[in-house]
Amino acid sequence: MNWWRRRRLRTKIFLPFSVLIVAILLATLWVTGVAVSSWVERSLKRQFDATGDVYRGLMAERAERLLGETSLLAGDFALKRAIATYDPDTLSSVAENHRERIGVDLLWIADENGRLLAAAGRAADADRPLTALAPLAQAKDTEAPAVAVTEVGRGLVQLVAVPVFGPDPIGYLLAGEAIDDATAQQLQANSGPAVSFLTSARVFASSWPAAEREQLFPGSMIRTRALQAQLVRAGAAPDPERSTFLLDLRGDRLLSILIPIEAQLPAPLFALVQDSYDRALGPLATLARWIALLGAAALLGALVVGRVIASGIAAPVQALVSAMHRVLTGDFSQRLTLRREDEIGFLAHSFNEMVAGLAERERIKDTFGSFVSRDVAAAVLSGQLPLDGERREVTVLFQDVRGFTSIAERTDPRMLVRIVNRLFAEMAAAVEAQGGIIRVFTGDGVMALFGAPVAYADHAARAVRAGLDMLARLPAMNAELEAEQLPALRIGVGIATGEVIVGRMGADQRSEYNVVGDAANLASRVEGLNKELGTALLISATTAVCLGTEFALGRRAVLSVKGKERPVEVVEVLSVAPEASQAG
Amino acid sequence: MSALRFMGAGTIVVVALFGVGSPLRAAEISGRVIDPQGNPVRAAVVFIDQPAAGAARPVKEPTATMDQVHRQFVPHILPVEVGTLVSFPNHDQIHHHVYSLSRTKTFEIPLYKGETAPPIRFDQVGAVKLGCNIHDWMSGVILVVPTPYFATTDEHGAFTLRGVPPGTYGVVAWHEGSKVTVEETRQSVTAGAGASLLTFTLEVVEPRVRPVARRGYE
Repeated sequence: MNWWRRRRLRTKIFLPFSVLIVAILLATLWVTGVAVSSWVERSLKRQFDATGDVYRGLMAERAERLLGETSLLAGDFALKRAIATYDPDTLSSVAENHRERIGVDLLWIADENGRLLAAAGRAADADRPLTALAPLAQAKDTEAPAVAVTEVGRGLVQLVAVPVFGPDPIGYLLAGEAIDDATAQQLQANSGPAVSFLTSARVFASSWPAAEREQLFPGSMIRTRALQAQLVRAGAAPDPERSTFLLDLRGDRLLSILIPIEAQLPAPLFALVQDSYDRALGPLATLARWIALLGAAALLGALVVGRVIASGIAAPVQALVSAMHRVLTGDFSQRLTLRREDEIGFLAHSFNEMVAGLAERERIKDTFGSFVSRDVAAAVLSGQLPLDGERREVTVLFQDVRGFTSIAERTDPRMLVRIVNRLFAEMAAAVEAQGGIIRVFTGDGVMALFGAPVAYADHAARAVRAGLDMLARLPAMNAELEAEQLPALRIGVGIATGEVIVGRMGADQRSEYNVVGDAANLASRVEGLNKELGTALLISATTAVCLGTEFALGRRAVLSVKGKERPVEVVEVLSVAPEASQAG
Repeated sequence: MSALRFMGAGTIVVVALFGVGSPLRAAEISGRVIDPQGNPVRAAVVFIDQPAAGAARPVKEPTATMDQVHRQFVPHILPVEVGTLVSFPNHDQIHHHVYSLSRTKTFEIPLYKGETAPPIRFDQVGAVKLGCNIHDWMSGVILVVPTPYFATTDEHGAFTLRGVPPGTYGVVAWHEGSKVTVEETRQSVTAGAGASLLTFTLEVVEPRVRPVARRGYE
């Protein structure tokens, strides 16, 4: 599973396709193989059965001819008189003459007891009486012609025995036609498959050429175990199904069946009918080749189509992945240009938007620093706020820690950082609560801006509220610091209102949202006056005129400050006016 | 006496009963031929095959006739004493070609009509099977026996050998379908002591009937 997880998308698409195609291909090959070989087997078997029919037809025809012609001979009075001479020499010549007259392989003359008088064409077996031959025994018994396949001189012969009446039987004529290689070859010529006549003991005749014959039946004996077994099986019980079996001939498989042949022999006689199974399956091999070729083409097609599809999916995904990598390293300039409207197109589009959002955020962070309220950030991101330079009336707030230098000197640096961070958190919260932005951290204080970049009509009141909030937050914070054995802090806040220029200033990567104008300097100076006046929150007169009755104001003073030609009027803010706080 | 050429094989049960009679007068030997089931066997020929020493022989040359009527030999079985002249008159309106290929007597009377054929002497004992070369179904038997004492059984299987001089004889029975040889049927009989009653038991098979061509008319 791990292996699969690690595969590329292209592989994941192509591999299942290929497996499917190969599986279908193999299944098709298998099904075709089974169907075709079964068809071939059936058709061969039909052919074999036809061979059996041809054999029976041939034998019946030959029997009819043998019986007819021999019966005619037997009725010949001259022959009867010749038999009555019982003269061997005469009868031998008669036998030869009559054999040629009807054109048979053998013609024998026996007396009324079945003893051989003369033989022509083929000698009788000396070691057994003629009456052991089934046709003669039957003809003697029934005084009627009889025919059977039997063995004569180690060969198969279709033999008829016909009584010679004078008017009772005075002898018998036996005529026979050999069932030999020529017969088997004639059968093969008429029906197709190769034919061999055999018993479990030996092969009598075969249509196979000598070389194949020697291979199949060495020395005309049954030596292959498979054939022996089949002969035993077929001899043991009748097999109406005529089951087929395969024999090997030099690597060529021969589909074979055994057709029982009626014969008077010690062992059952069969016609072994055979044809090349592999040759018959030749068309199947062609078919299989074609299927394999088409399958390979399909596989190739799948490879190409798979690649195209995979490329259509994987390439954009790949582009997305590498773009993502670059984004991770801080490169927000990455954009995907995909002209498609499917899921991948959507993905690319979303990616572009996401990266654009990230870039914007980064820009805002660069511009305003970390301490930008969510509202300001949203306003900037929505593009409502121009960050280009503009002249604007704003209120600037400076906050500073009293005696910070001496605190810094006697406090552990790590503790100091904690104290400062704690303070900043409170101060920033007070600023953000009023919609201002932290313009800069000064080390022990903040400079905050109200009325830019978000314009507020009541920027002065917001700044004063923030200043009061800072002071209000201090006791709780100091209680916590003191609980940690840290020094309590005192702060001073100065606020001034005036026209300034705001905008993003600085080099590309280092640009900040900055404010340039007298109000900023004034706010700083006003803050410094707290020390002289012993106040905590001082505002300039420019700010004071912007306020309504919201705040309770204290002393007023006109003081000269460093860097200003004219003295500055400042007003102490005590708190939120009681009526205003009640109202609000 | 040369060996008889009668064919057959099988078993025979012989029961001989002897009557009491005058030894000086010509005697009769009678009896029955039955099959093993006790049924009468007709058309069997019973004859003396060994004459008693010094028995007188008839002086007259014996003759017999084997007729051909309705394309059949009549009678079917003709027993004759050896040396008999047998004539073969043809009483059909068509030709016949009488022949025998039997080893006892081989002869042939080529196609003829009426009574023109010369008689033939049968000078050797044994059965002579007759046929007609142009009518395969026609068959007859001339049974040539060594003595004039022979008889053919009637439908009851009964026979009587008459005028037998007193003496002791071998008596045998023959039948066309007998499964035993004639020699095996031999019984010894002393004639003259009165009526002799013999019973022969023969196992016989019915002779094969050959199909008759029934075209035209005899």
